[in-house]
Amino acid sequence: MNMNKEVIKALCKRFLSSVITLLLLISLLFILVRLSPGDPAQKYISAELSPELREKITESFNLNEPVLNQYSSFLINAIKGDLGVSYDYKLPVLTVVWEYLSFTIIFALVSILIQLTVSLYLSVFIVKRNSRFLDNSISNISLIIYSTPAFVLGVFLIYVFSVQLNLFPLSGLKSLDYDSFSAVAKLIDQIHHIILPVITLSAAGVALFYKYLKENLGNVYNQTFVQQMRANGFSESYILKRHVIPNAIRPLISIAGIELGILMGGALLTEVIFGLPGMGRLTIDSILSRDYPLVIGCALAAGALMVFANFLADLVKMLIDKRMTKGILG
Amino acid sequence: MSIKKLSFFLIVVFLFSLLSCDSKPPQSKNRIVVGISSDVKTFNPLFAFSVDEGAIVELLYLSLVDFRWDEEKGELKSLPMLARKFEWAGDSSFITFFLRDDIFWTDSVRITPDDVVFSLDVYSDPLVQSRLYGTFKSLHTNDENHIDIEKTIEVKSSSEFNIHFAEDALPNLYELGIPIIPKHVFDSVGKEELVTSGLNFNPVSSGPFKLKKWDKNQTITLEANEQSFLYDPENVSELVFKIVPDYTSRILQIKKGDIDLVELVKTEDIEDLRGYDDLQIVPVVGREYDYVGWNNIDPNEFSSGGKIEPHSLFGSPNVRKALTHAINRNEILDEYLLGLGEIAVAPVSPIFKKAFDESIIGYEYDIVKAKRLLEDEGWADSNNDGILDKDGNDFSFTLHYPAGNPLREFAATIMKNNLKAVGIEMDMEVLELGTFIDNLFAKKLDAWMAAWYIPIPLELKPYWYSDLESTPLNFVSYQNSTIDKILDNLETKIPLQQRINFYKKFQELIHRDEPVTFLYWIPNISVYNRKIKNINVSPLGTVTHCWEWSVKNN
Repeated sequence: MNMNKEVIKALCKRFLSSVITLLLLISLLFILVRLSPGDPAQKYISAELSPELREKITESFNLNEPVLNQYSSFLINAIKGDLGVSYDYKLPVLTVVWEYLSFTIIFALVSILIQLTVSLYLSVFIVKRNSRFLDNSISNISLIIYSTPAFVLGVFLIYVFSVQLNLFPLSGLKSLDYDSFSAVAKLIDQIHHIILPVITLSAAGVALFYKYLKENLGNVYNQTFVQQMRANGFSESYILKRHVIPNAIRPLISIAGIELGILMGGALLTEVIFGLPGMGRLTIDSILSRDYPLVIGCALAAGALMVFANFLADLVKMLIDKRMTKGILG
Repeated sequence: MSIKKLSFFLIVVFLFSLLSCDSKPPQSKNRIVVGISSDVKTFNPLFAFSVDEGAIVELLYLSLVDFRWDEEKGELKSLPMLARKFEWAGDSSFITFFLRDDIFWTDSVRITPDDVVFSLDVYSDPLVQSRLYGTFKSLHTNDENHIDIEKTIEVKSSSEFNIHFAEDALPNLYELGIPIIPKHVFDSVGKEELVTSGLNFNPVSSGPFKLKKWDKNQTITLEANEQSFLYDPENVSELVFKIVPDYTSRILQIKKGDIDLVELVKTEDIEDLRGYDDLQIVPVVGREYDYVGWNNIDPNEFSSGGKIEPHSLFGSPNVRKALTHAINRNEILDEYLLGLGEIAVAPVSPIFKKAFDESIIGYEYDIVKAKRLLEDEGWADSNNDGILDKDGNDFSFTLHYPAGNPLREFAATIMKNNLKAVGIEMDMEVLELGTFIDNLFAKKLDAWMAAWYIPIPLELKPYWYSDLESTPLNFVSYQNSTIDKILDNLETKIPLQQRINFYKKFQELIHRDEPVTFLYWIPNISVYNRKIKNINVSPLGTVTHCWEWSVKNN
């Protein structure tokens, strides 16, 4: 009972500190975007547009108001859940962000799952095989993949698999005739489109997690309790699944949480190369066009997802080992 | 078979089924796919600010008049569109439009003069903030630039109405070329709410195409509007705008046949694209020119109280002429633009055949002349350090240009070397576009390289008028009272020949003062698949009048 109360109290504390962190984040951003050079109304100056239009638009953006007044009304509205209307999209910021975020969340979750699964299988395979040649080869390949920038890998994959071998589409999420497909064909079509982007986004993570996992697995395998279990007749598969993997994976969960948070903030290069509608593109476009409310909306979404991803990682850690609950929440 | 082996087998089968998916879908017979870099944010012509938005809404919403480019005369020609004909009054004080009988919105409601009245009212309403707000200079407007409907439009019947021009204004048919919007759809929406209305994404339109599907950030699919009087079953039936943000990917896709048309192709890709027999490359010169802006006034004096003092380096026309003489524009043109551009000598494009003054000879690349002009202005290398100086100050400056344009990087390097040869030290600094534009408006930069995309019909006042308050685009702060008089006169009712003479005089004076170094007219290159027939790439754009295209299927 006491434990439950403590947990709830700790969760509330954590929630409150997260909210304060996010409020500080958007306040800092509010100041930074206004200090940075550029004017959102500049794009309304051209020989084809009237100077009067620019004045009206500046007025409607409230940019003529003193910054302190702008900030106070922004903060009051933000607390109410209203981040304003995007200057470019002419839609509420949260509506615009959600349109892009939904894709990014799915994309990030698929990517992190692939990163963890592939790296885990690969490292278990290598550790069990105990072959120096295989180990060295995979380690070198993973180092090369990890050091390759996403845009290089993406372009390479497109060149090989889309241009030369014509196996995958060059960009987009679905075919032009998608609507005429059956349900199964639609699913296959989407997977067909997403394979290269997912590989581009996940390759570096697989290489990173593989390195950590392989080392951790090796260390755990060499511990005495594993040898004792073997001596007591436990099967290799049982030892691996119930004892070695959980022990080896634990230190990795925090890193996976951070990686998930970063992925949910958007993957600009992958999104641009493959023409995907993600948060990375939205954030950069909003910065370049000085769409102040949208810049803050994107940053808030990225920040909130980072907080959430870390919290998720902590929950997973607690599920694996309940003894850690107090330490994590405290 | 163990579960492991079975799942492995299933994964392999699944992967093979994916790979066997043909990446090129069976295209519908008359479909054309146009590659664009970013999605639209509205389908409402009131708020279509970007080039792509403008091009798409003009396919959805028709205007009273259709403007086409007359290549022979080098001017716009006006043809009836929603109006079956229009007649000017003898004194040009008003124009009478006669609407067609067969024009309908996509919800089958007939288009009437009420829609025209409503459109003019809404476009000019200050509460709406449409892209055309404040541009109706030839019509009767109030202090808030709102069109006075009573004075302007006189509806005579369900298909005939007059539009009256303001007394002293120059009658302008182009101002009436607005895409007409449906009154019965937008009337119920408050003026201030129009900009955020959901109706902007579900257009009830009148054009040769209607919106079939908008897959945000992926594709915009338009289908031929069979109700439209422009419909022809033999022509293109589906037009897909495919959003591909990455330029390289757009080029790969046109080569592969996934896209049928792309615009703004870079010259460095031309050689490669010429190797594809099914692709047609069309450069259009005359809509955009690159220039080097020399700040004519001292930026420090201007920023500290708006004082206008000549710039210590670029204040003199002779120095600016010397700089133009010193820059080898032909080298850039031949090496980077592969000869597809054209040397610019003044801001009037050669596409305007009547207004363009062919007699003006540009300042040729001539180091000797450049040195002499600089010497005449008192610039000499008195301390033998290889850099010209005057009154103890070196001729040294920084050229700024926005990031992400390889042509400008190439040109800046050539210029740096060219200017070094005459004793001028030039540094280069790349700025982020927003920061660059911010500095231009603040008149903080000494020298920069940028481009102007010129409007059609010809418009000069926003760039060259002396009143710096009302002319924010006059970045170089060029001031010339004779030019001002010419520009004022061009806004009045004057005979055509006098107008042409004014344009030529303007070019002569600009050439004499050389407020900027006009570099070259950049080619806007479109590449399209030869299966598209009847396509006419003009200075007005590529997809305009695309309802006349047909598709030749093999």
